[in-house]
Amino acid sequence: MAERVLVIEDDHELGRQIVLHLRRAGYEPTWWTEGRTLAPEEAAGLALVILDLMLPGAHGLDILRDLRARSDVPVLVLSARADTMDKVGALKLGADDYMTKPFWPEELVERVRARLRRPALQREDTLTVGALSIDRARRVVQVRGRAVELTRVEFDFLAALARRPGAAVTRAWLAEQVLGPEREGSERTLDVHASRLRKKLAPEECIETVWGIGYRLRAEPSP
Amino acid sequence: MKLRLRLALTTIAVTIPMVVVLVLFDAVARHRAAEEALVGYTLARMQEPGGRDRCEADPAGWGGELPPGHGPPSRAGEDLRGREEGSREAGDLRGRAAAQGEAGDLRGRGAESDLRGREAEPLRGRDSKQSEGPEKLTGPGEPRGRPPPPLNDGQPRGRPPPPLDDGRPRGRPAVLFAYDAQLRSANPAAPAVAEPLAAAIATSEVATWPQSWPQSWARSWMSAEVEVLMRMPWGSGPCALVLAQGNTVPGWLGAVLPPTRIWLAPLVALFAAVLLAMGPVVGRIRRLTEAVRRSASAGYASAVPIDGDDEVGQLARAFEAAGQEVRAQLTAKDRREAALREFLANTTHDVMIPLTVLQGHLSELLEGASAGSAVDRGALVAAMGEAHYIAAIVHNLAIMAKIDADAPRLHREPVAMGVLVERVLARHRPIARRLRVELDGAVPESPLHVDADVTLLEQAVSNVVYNAIRHNRAGGHVAVLLEALADDRFRLRVVDDGPGVAADELARLVERGFRSDAARTRAPDGQGLGLHIAARVAALHDLELVFSSPPGGGLQVDFIGPRICAEVADSTQAAHL
Repeated sequence: MAERVLVIEDDHELGRQIVLHLRRAGYEPTWWTEGRTLAPEEAAGLALVILDLMLPGAHGLDILRDLRARSDVPVLVLSARADTMDKVGALKLGADDYMTKPFWPEELVERVRARLRRPALQREDTLTVGALSIDRARRVVQVRGRAVELTRVEFDFLAALARRPGAAVTRAWLAEQVLGPEREGSERTLDVHASRLRKKLAPEECIETVWGIGYRLRAEPSP
Repeated sequence: MKLRLRLALTTIAVTIPMVVVLVLFDAVARHRAAEEALVGYTLARMQEPGGRDRCEADPAGWGGELPPGHGPPSRAGEDLRGREEGSREAGDLRGRAAAQGEAGDLRGRGAESDLRGREAEPLRGRDSKQSEGPEKLTGPGEPRGRPPPPLNDGQPRGRPPPPLDDGRPRGRPAVLFAYDAQLRSANPAAPAVAEPLAAAIATSEVATWPQSWPQSWARSWMSAEVEVLMRMPWGSGPCALVLAQGNTVPGWLGAVLPPTRIWLAPLVALFAAVLLAMGPVVGRIRRLTEAVRRSASAGYASAVPIDGDDEVGQLARAFEAAGQEVRAQLTAKDRREAALREFLANTTHDVMIPLTVLQGHLSELLEGASAGSAVDRGALVAAMGEAHYIAAIVHNLAIMAKIDADAPRLHREPVAMGVLVERVLARHRPIARRLRVELDGAVPESPLHVDADVTLLEQAVSNVVYNAIRHNRAGGHVAVLLEALADDRFRLRVVDDGPGVAADELARLVERGFRSDAARTRAPDGQGLGLHIAARVAALHDLELVFSSPPGGGLQVDFIGPRICAEVADSTQAAHL
């Protein structure tokens, strides 16, 4: 079932676009053109509120305060003003994030998705990232159910990446986690290990090299 | 009210009560002195050998006016006498009254020679028969119709005092009357004893009019009459009580003030001096007022002339200092306004160019769509790029207005740098994707907080990132790395593999409006404001901003500065800023 997102935006064109892009992204948007009190039954099914701070008649911060008094629903604030007071005020009132206009529709969708992304339910010892299943206690890795034999360093490499799936991590951090601190030429050694690991995990392309940074474990399985 | 008038009125207001009090005090002092003198003299006269006998022998005729030059000197008399030229045997008021002045002379002469004429011959000693006097003196020709005869105490007067004429008015001579213990007098001319005196004599040896303030002061002020009732030591007989009547000299002063009006001279001189001294001061204040008015009407462009080193000079100096301050402020304001106008003009120009290009792209796209040809992806991406660029310029304009103030006000809060980097990446990722520039970022696992104005710092980082994207090429990379360093510091590195900047141009990157030559040829729009803002924001936050050329080309920009300890940041509500 699609998650419900409430959009409070007075501008018709912008509101229409936001609703359109949210719907395309698989959400179920509700659009209010003016701020009003959120009834408890309305708040119950909401996954997220997108709130424009500059609304006619009522200030967005007042709506936010009112909203926060009734509900814990995540709030993403839209602001056209480059005013720190507004942002700090919104965050202190309980907003979860803010975006400054103008923004690209995909930026908005990405932020909504990031806000609604739920950590996958998993046992403490077993991580599931895309096609990979990593059992940290037994030090066993499976690709789409197929067990892959890894060396100690290779397993540590993969486990370190899997701590933050989808996020790029630096070579320096990886080297420290996998090879231990203060090892000569460790970052180059890391590349060798990465190369071997990729071969073992093939055809799954789950380890990406990130230019200027290091490596990243893909959060989604490759097609 | 004008200064001079106010000063004159103040001087008058202070002087008049002072003169009144002095004159009043003088009157009271004279009154007291006269009373003391009367008492002293009467007692002396009664107590001298045969004094009592003379009185009791003829209580009706005893007494009368005191002759000139008679009476024992009293202290008060000495005081008074000291102020008069010429020494007299009896220099007190009574003596003066008796011996001096026209009336006194006449009476004295009348008493002595039994004449009512106005001979100017000096007083001679009277005959020793005291009985003669009263009868003669009570005659109808008495100049003032006063019954008391001239003094007939029977004492020979061989040496009359010289007549004194200092031009001062003289009072009547004093008179004495004898009474018995029941306040009855054998002398038919004796007045009835006043009630206050009768009451006072019952309890004391010497009765005067009440001496308490304000009655006695008022009496002294209103009348020159002095009355003293004395009880004689024997306390019985027809001369048990003696009423002495006299007066202070009517007219001008003399007890504590100089007898002539010369003492008014310093007062008048003081008054004149005050007004004279005020003249130049008032004139200078007027000139200063005029100068300040002139200066103000000319926008404080002209200086206020300063003369003198006194308070007026200091006032002029203060006006001049204030004027200089106003001039400086006006100049600064004009400068700021000019800078703002120029900035607005430049920014408008810089926004209009990408807007025009954007319009061109949109028209092109519409024409293509109308002609039914395939969508021109290049034009679409270019249009998006222009729109993104316009947004960046407008953001920078707002930031510039904020930090170009003389004292930029930062709203510092703990800023979660990881979240900030994510926001910046999210902002530019759509356009980087369209430009086929790979944009990635890495933040440390644990949150990293920096005390900063989130709007300013975010825009500074955004400018550097956008700069790296815009000046890159398709297939290029931009990486943003946030790292915690030792000693509670952090480093935010933005590195790209674009064409980079020549070493000699690195230092000039942050100058407002500077763009490297290569950048100019690739991207002829823009004003190079982004990196300038980054540098300004870094300086405002005490962050190091280091530009370098990494091996392999491109540009590397590092923000390095202090971070907040994890515990502190966790405790703040805005930890997720």
